[in-house]
Amino acid sequence: MAETPANAWRTTLKRRLVVAAVGLLLWSAGIEARLVYLQVYRHADLVVRAERQQMRTVAASAKRGEILDRRGHVLAYSVDADSIYAVPTEIGDPSQAAAALCGALGDCTPADRQALADRIRRGRAFVYVRRQVTRDQARRLADLQLEGVGFMKESRRFYPNKELAAHLLGYVGLDNAGLAGLEATYDGLIKGHAGTVLIQTDAKRHAFSRIERPSTTGATLELTIDEYLQHIAERELQAGVAANHAAGGTAVIMDPWTGEILALANAPTFNPNIYRDASDDERRNRAIQDLYEPGSTFKIVTASAALEQNVVHPDDVIDVRGGVLRLGSRVIHDTSDHGVLTFTDVIVMSSNIGAIKVGLRLGQERLGIYARRFGFGRPSSPDFPGESPGILWDPAKQNEGALASMSMGYQVGVTPLQMAAAVSSVANGGELIEPRVVRAVIMDGRRVPVRRKVVHRAINQSVAAELTTIMEQVVERGTATMVQIPGYTVAGKTGTAAKLEAGRYSKSDYNASFIGFVPSRKPVFTIVIVLDSPHGANGYYGGPVSGPIFKRIATAIMRQYGVPPSINPAPPLLVARYDAEDSHEQPASTAGRAPSIVTVAGTSQGSEAIFPDLRGLSARDALHTLARLGMTTRLNGAGTVTRQEPEPGAPIDRDALCTLWLERQAGPIRLAGGSTALTAGGSTALIAGGSTALTAGGSTALTPGTTQP
Amino acid sequence: MFERRLYYHIDWALLAGIFALCAIGLAQIFSATGGFTRIYYTQIYGMLLGIFAMGVCLTIDYRSLADKSHLIYLAVLVLLLYVLFFGAVRGGSRRWIDLGVVNLQPSEFAKAVLALVLAKFFGESRRGAITREDLAIAGALTAVPLILIARQPDLGTAVTLIPVAFAIAYVAGMPMRILGILALVGVLVAPVAWKFALKDYQRERISTFLDPAQDAKGAGYQQIQARITVGSGGLWGKGFTKGTQGQLRFLPVAHNDFIFSVLAEEQGFAGVLVTLGLYLFVILRALEAARLAKDRLGAYLVMGVLASFTFQVIYNVTMSAGLAPVKGLTLPLMSYGGSSMIATLAAFGLILNVRMRRFTN
Repeated sequence: MAETPANAWRTTLKRRLVVAAVGLLLWSAGIEARLVYLQVYRHADLVVRAERQQMRTVAASAKRGEILDRRGHVLAYSVDADSIYAVPTEIGDPSQAAAALCGALGDCTPADRQALADRIRRGRAFVYVRRQVTRDQARRLADLQLEGVGFMKESRRFYPNKELAAHLLGYVGLDNAGLAGLEATYDGLIKGHAGTVLIQTDAKRHAFSRIERPSTTGATLELTIDEYLQHIAERELQAGVAANHAAGGTAVIMDPWTGEILALANAPTFNPNIYRDASDDERRNRAIQDLYEPGSTFKIVTASAALEQNVVHPDDVIDVRGGVLRLGSRVIHDTSDHGVLTFTDVIVMSSNIGAIKVGLRLGQERLGIYARRFGFGRPSSPDFPGESPGILWDPAKQNEGALASMSMGYQVGVTPLQMAAAVSSVANGGELIEPRVVRAVIMDGRRVPVRRKVVHRAINQSVAAELTTIMEQVVERGTATMVQIPGYTVAGKTGTAAKLEAGRYSKSDYNASFIGFVPSRKPVFTIVIVLDSPHGANGYYGGPVSGPIFKRIATAIMRQYGVPPSINPAPPLLVARYDAEDSHEQPASTAGRAPSIVTVAGTSQGSEAIFPDLRGLSARDALHTLARLGMTTRLNGAGTVTRQEPEPGAPIDRDALCTLWLERQAGPIRLAGGSTALTAGGSTALIAGGSTALTAGGSTALTPGTTQP
Repeated sequence: MFERRLYYHIDWALLAGIFALCAIGLAQIFSATGGFTRIYYTQIYGMLLGIFAMGVCLTIDYRSLADKSHLIYLAVLVLLLYVLFFGAVRGGSRRWIDLGVVNLQPSEFAKAVLALVLAKFFGESRRGAITREDLAIAGALTAVPLILIARQPDLGTAVTLIPVAFAIAYVAGMPMRILGILALVGVLVAPVAWKFALKDYQRERISTFLDPAQDAKGAGYQQIQARITVGSGGLWGKGFTKGTQGQLRFLPVAHNDFIFSVLAEEQGFAGVLVTLGLYLFVILRALEAARLAKDRLGAYLVMGVLASFTFQVIYNVTMSAGLAPVKGLTLPLMSYGGSSMIATLAAFGLILNVRMRRFTN
């Protein structure tokens, strides 16, 4: 089949394929030549260009997440601020440019101007002129229209409450890096992801920044701190430090059931907005960084160990006659000669000799175990990575003298936070709960709560109860009678320890502390007060120095939280509400029928807690009540609560979700004939059917007359 | 349908070349996107599906496929119409059919199907020479999918259909005179098209190509960056995953349109030489398949399929070297893209199909 028309196509094909292949090869030769030109001939030049533009890539700081208190009040937030930069290669005369810039900034000294000019002269691709300027400065600088000067957005941190919770929050450096406190601990969470900004100049030599990768906003932290409690703690601590001429002090308020730190105050303090002006001493978070020898407050450990190990019974008699004990070469004194004391009174009167005698019976081994069970000797909370673990000697290496010291709280080093956790474990019936300050993390619109964490059981419930009884007597008739709060039972323990200075115990400087919880039988708050080196008229003992601070804080915060009195508690009351079904006011009851007595649960920390009747309350007050119960709430509608799930009176399950249905009613307050409505603490009380109801602090009902003096 | 002995006639060398390019592409995607990302795994799935599609296209005799070509062609037109009205919108154009797990881009498959239908058309031995009516019909067959794709709008993919028609008409013996006339018409139409047919952004792309520096911040940016990226690679490159230009995102969509620039930066001129050599090898080897083909149908099919592939390779490499305006045309076998990978491997399945059946009747 040669050269037939049938094969003509193949001839054409072959010829034209060759043309195509040649064309392809020509192209590839051309492109190779181009690549050689770029990659070999112009390589050096293009490498420089690549480096130059890459050097102009700067990180754009992300917007930092907020820090809120447990009620959503903002403790720290970030705003965008302009930062001014210059591209030195685009600036002809650095001195002139620096002068112009300084003129616009309005607040620089000649030295600043010189420094700026030098920076511009030395720099190549990118130098900051001034970071985070005010809005006015930014406007004036923009008006200059300077060559080679540009703007970029940066995030700036503000602490609206200034000193409030300063040590806890910490502060943030210029580069959006948390430098101390929670800002540092949770830096990874709240800082967000920095983006990149490419700084370029256009043909007119105006610098512009081009966002290559946008930054993302960080997570919001919701703290366990209550802004109001924090304020009270700081105010009273400051007053106490000033009154006692102390070098410093710490106050910690903790919820003994959940481990939530409600307030953590230190004195002296600082303003994190201008943290650079504060000294290291002011910036130190004493509650977690300062080790102190607890002194007599540590006797709760000695006592717990002795009681649980059946070494003594509370009524056993211990001879502390003479007020002096010789132990080898050491002589230990009591404050006075107590004669013969029961074990209870050893703690109540804080007899060192009694504590040592019990400690010696207990032995190093067992005392060491209990000290660890109470959480001493290791950091107590992951929220504070800078926390000191404390000092606890290896029991095997302890001699009798060391054991004697430890029995009365010497030769152990603890932090106020550890002490708060230990006291809380007595308050809550024996469980050591991890203290924490972060209540929830809010990220991408989701709120992830931090769960309560029980470390382990420190002591059994009956020992905790016995110890509570003893600690109540400390306040009733012991070393801390000045702490008594009318209407409430208080459990507490004083502590006074000479400070160790240069290897010797000081004769003038002491740590005066007071630990305790209120109300003692149904504790809502654990409070730890430590004052460093008081030199005032009250002396240096824990009772008279730290006790009054404890009392003032406890009184104020129990009023704020509406904690019902534990001595002669107020009789149950009626809470009335407006019933929409018929237009007449009726006494409130669980179902809107006959008046029945409803106690509004004030403190529902106990296991027998039941669900309160929230109907008739505003959303705000209902949430307030539920928040204190530690429940998660879902709201439907707006107005006042008309229906609730679970029903009033149901046992409380902390993990369950509470759903409230709300409706707007004709008026906020409807009055029955002849009665008046009172409002207190922001919530509305309704008087109907001749009985009086008054809600205070949101939910607790008090009858006039039983309020505290 | 698939006889055992055909297995021995598969062009293993061509296959090796194709997979080598896939591997280089995957490695560069790994480097450009920063590790084992979703993009990286999507590309692997694309390859696996592509190998499957290749197997299917290899197994069925291309002559049986050509017999059904009109049906396949119609099916693709229906898909393109469907996409135009119901397709998933991304980046302002409707190109994809959302299948849940994968997004299918029918326009990618239109190229091979057009090659099939045109090969069938020109392959039917009627008379020796090609008449003007033949060309008109071929033009119409090309224009319908082209317009549909251009309406999405996806001018880049639409344009790749033109080389398919040209290549087949060319090797089928289209008179050079007509080619000349078409070229002349093109030159005359261009200014009119510039004024009326092109959109602003398209005009901008071409004008910034001619002078990238006039708009360093906007449209000329990518081109300048491509040049810097390639040039800073030098003779031996900066090393795998060490390419600062791509990593710092100076070059946008580095794993896609500009993968060749990233390769040039990290592997240098040496790496580029190897890669270009592989592409040349694959193309020339496929041209040989066309030469060896048993019949006109086979030869034209290979040419048609190869034409869009070659066009894309030439355009993308030229663009990456900073010598052509930036256009969203990917580098087949290397760039990221599932549909593109599947369609390209399927197309090579057809080429292998023609070559291995050169002895069968």
